[in-house]
Amino acid sequence: MDILASVAQGLGVALQPVNLLACFIGVFIGTLVGVLPGIGPVSAMSLLLPVTLAGTPEAGIIMMAGIYYGSMYGGSTTSILVNIPGEAASVVTCLDGHEMAKQGRAGAALGIAALGSFFAGTFAIVALMLIAPTLARWAVAFGPAEYFSLMVLGLVVLTFLTQGSMAKALLMACVGAVLGLIGLDSITAQPRLTFDRLELYDGIGLVPVVMGLFGIAEVLHNLERPIAREVIKTKLSQLWPNRAEWRASAAPVARGTVLGFFLGILPGGGAVISSFASYALEKRLSKTPERFGRGAIEGVAGPEAANNAAAGGAFIPLMTLGIPPNVVMALLLGAFIIHGLQPGPLLMSQNPTLFWGIVASMYVGNAMLLVLNLPLVGMWAQLLRLPYNVLFPLIVLFSIVGVYCSSNNVFDVYVMVAFGILGYLMRKVGYEPAPLVLAFVLGPMLENNLRKAMILSQGDLSTFLTRPISATCLVFAAALLLAPLLPALRRKRAVVALDETA
Amino acid sequence: MVNRRMLALALAALALGGSALAQDYPAKPVTLIVPWPAGGSTDVAMRAIAEAASKHLGQPIVVDNKAGGSGTVGPATMAATGKPDGYTIAQIPITVFRLPLMQKTTWDPLKDFTYIVHLTGYTFGITSNAESQFKTWNDVVEYAKANPGKVTYATPGAGTSLHIGMEQIAAKAGIKLTHVPFKGGAETNAAVLGGHTTLQADSSGWKPLVEAGKLRLLAIWTANRSKNWPDTPTLKELGYGFVFDSPFGIAGPKGMDPKVVAKLHDALKKAIDDPAVQEQLAKYDMVVNYKNTEEYRKFVAESVETEKKVLSDLGLAKTN
Repeated sequence: MDILASVAQGLGVALQPVNLLACFIGVFIGTLVGVLPGIGPVSAMSLLLPVTLAGTPEAGIIMMAGIYYGSMYGGSTTSILVNIPGEAASVVTCLDGHEMAKQGRAGAALGIAALGSFFAGTFAIVALMLIAPTLARWAVAFGPAEYFSLMVLGLVVLTFLTQGSMAKALLMACVGAVLGLIGLDSITAQPRLTFDRLELYDGIGLVPVVMGLFGIAEVLHNLERPIAREVIKTKLSQLWPNRAEWRASAAPVARGTVLGFFLGILPGGGAVISSFASYALEKRLSKTPERFGRGAIEGVAGPEAANNAAAGGAFIPLMTLGIPPNVVMALLLGAFIIHGLQPGPLLMSQNPTLFWGIVASMYVGNAMLLVLNLPLVGMWAQLLRLPYNVLFPLIVLFSIVGVYCSSNNVFDVYVMVAFGILGYLMRKVGYEPAPLVLAFVLGPMLENNLRKAMILSQGDLSTFLTRPISATCLVFAAALLLAPLLPALRRKRAVVALDETA
Repeated sequence: MVNRRMLALALAALALGGSALAQDYPAKPVTLIVPWPAGGSTDVAMRAIAEAASKHLGQPIVVDNKAGGSGTVGPATMAATGKPDGYTIAQIPITVFRLPLMQKTTWDPLKDFTYIVHLTGYTFGITSNAESQFKTWNDVVEYAKANPGKVTYATPGAGTSLHIGMEQIAAKAGIKLTHVPFKGGAETNAAVLGGHTTLQADSSGWKPLVEAGKLRLLAIWTANRSKNWPDTPTLKELGYGFVFDSPFGIAGPKGMDPKVVAKLHDALKKAIDDPAVQEQLAKYDMVVNYKNTEEYRKFVAESVETEKKVLSDLGLAKTN
């Protein structure tokens, strides 16, 4: 009952006209920055932080939060339409989402992404209301050893993303992990693989790598065969997911939501891992895994739900412990503090109106996003009707502007172009970029946590097996690797293999 | 034609730069590099100072977060690529002086910067999990004596004042602690909260958790006890005789015009005199520690000397 009263109180705050307006502005800007590649929520929020200082803390934070989850909604749009993931969490959406767009089902992909996100977002908020304080413990239960094992599991799961050869996927993952090591080593601040170039001291940015490997490479690749385009023109009539697609998506959305929510609570790579773990899970459970990578709607529904649920989960460590799990949350922490508030265990009891007001506003914001996004689906899908000679220069232009804006550094533009060419060559010889990008993100975390875990255990490797969460992750990883070798499971494997050799 | 000649003259004056430009400085927004992640204690403090200083400077000061390398990547980038025109300046944490003594770096703290003004410093403290057996610093010392290396502590990075400070304390107490470097306050909070490390040594980002009774503040590294935690002893009181506050200021690339330096100095000095800014700083227990341009420059030279001695005593100095 307590909670219901608090929620009612929160809704009272969220529904005040000024807060409603702040919420709308937030989600609107969020959708925009989500759609524009390269310009992420971080830059939008840092630019708008001073603006929010003029109003009340509630309005300011509601708006900032709106930008964040709004951008999660918008992020899938470019992945599906032009194969450019706005951030690491939407890399997976490209795999089947863009395939669907190529087959003229962009509307269906966008529709299911929006509705899956709405469902996941709503679930995450309700869960946040009910069990946030209990879950705070889960967030800090993950120490270096647990993170290491989770990353190992993540890297094993990664090989399920590929539809080509597993050896090639593993090779790409190795390349990605090595690229991730460039820069100052995170433990002793020694430069590695920098060749004394100052630009490399901070490592290679994720944004230019992703935009090069996906966006630019896609453009280069398509320039070779302008005719394939016709397909999209003819089949555009179907804008909504049909009944069969709804049915196929329901379970993946539900599974993705739960998975995303729990992994999202973890500081660090939770949101990224959740999206591709969900993809791998759906592929594994599917009776027809060979459809994955060729426009399977489950491959869009699951991961999109997962990364939105993760965005909701990410508020838990911030609001209950004052620990920001990612850069966006760190900015939000900054906003709280500048407004004279300190997120942490005391926030809920010291500022209940603010706490519940923000939570309730997220619910309102999610509804707004759905209303805002659904009519846009048709418009976005129309975008694909643009002729190549208009669309491609636009993609390249937005990619360059986006990359430059994200770091104000021309070097990053060169990096993007280099990875664009690399990505094009990789496609030519059948290497896929997704494992590379994900290993690029996970590799440094894997190394950092391995080293911290070894320092903590004084070099004793058994620490990974004696800690229950860590051991569970490792057992799962081993099972996934070994399962194909066991005779009882060989039949299932044959189906998966079919898809790999096809 | 006259206009065109005027323009040419103006361009020539611009090209000559230096004193002619200093008159009009600042003509566009100034970028302030903060070498830590957004949302941390330094970032919040620097944003408050930048906002107040903008008013006096007449141009906005835009904060640019360039984190990495224990707070040295930002200043190092500025030293290598920034123009000394006063439009790019950076927060200079003490690691800028310390890292070149520990390893090969791209910058020299004595040559590559124009020091402008010294602003403030941090309040550091050691915390333990409130549920742990360590109720006082002496509990830690006793346990560590019986179990060498078993006590672990989390810091925001290798070579930070927290790392060096803990090693100095351990050396004086005759105990062996294990250092676990993280990237910043959020991570060290989580580490000690989850019981992954025994202790946390960090700047006052632990404040809300200490107030909520989740963490216990064992010792504070300032000269005097903090008003916020009057019951927590200082290192001096515990018999170590150390005060660590990792003071920091602002610098630009080498070769800045003294007139531009003076303008920036005045604006930033007025900012830290502003009660609203001091109130923001007080939230993190930061106290204004003003030094003018000349004093700051001397202080850098002294710091480098002190650091050299400390690092060689601890065996952390660069060997070549």
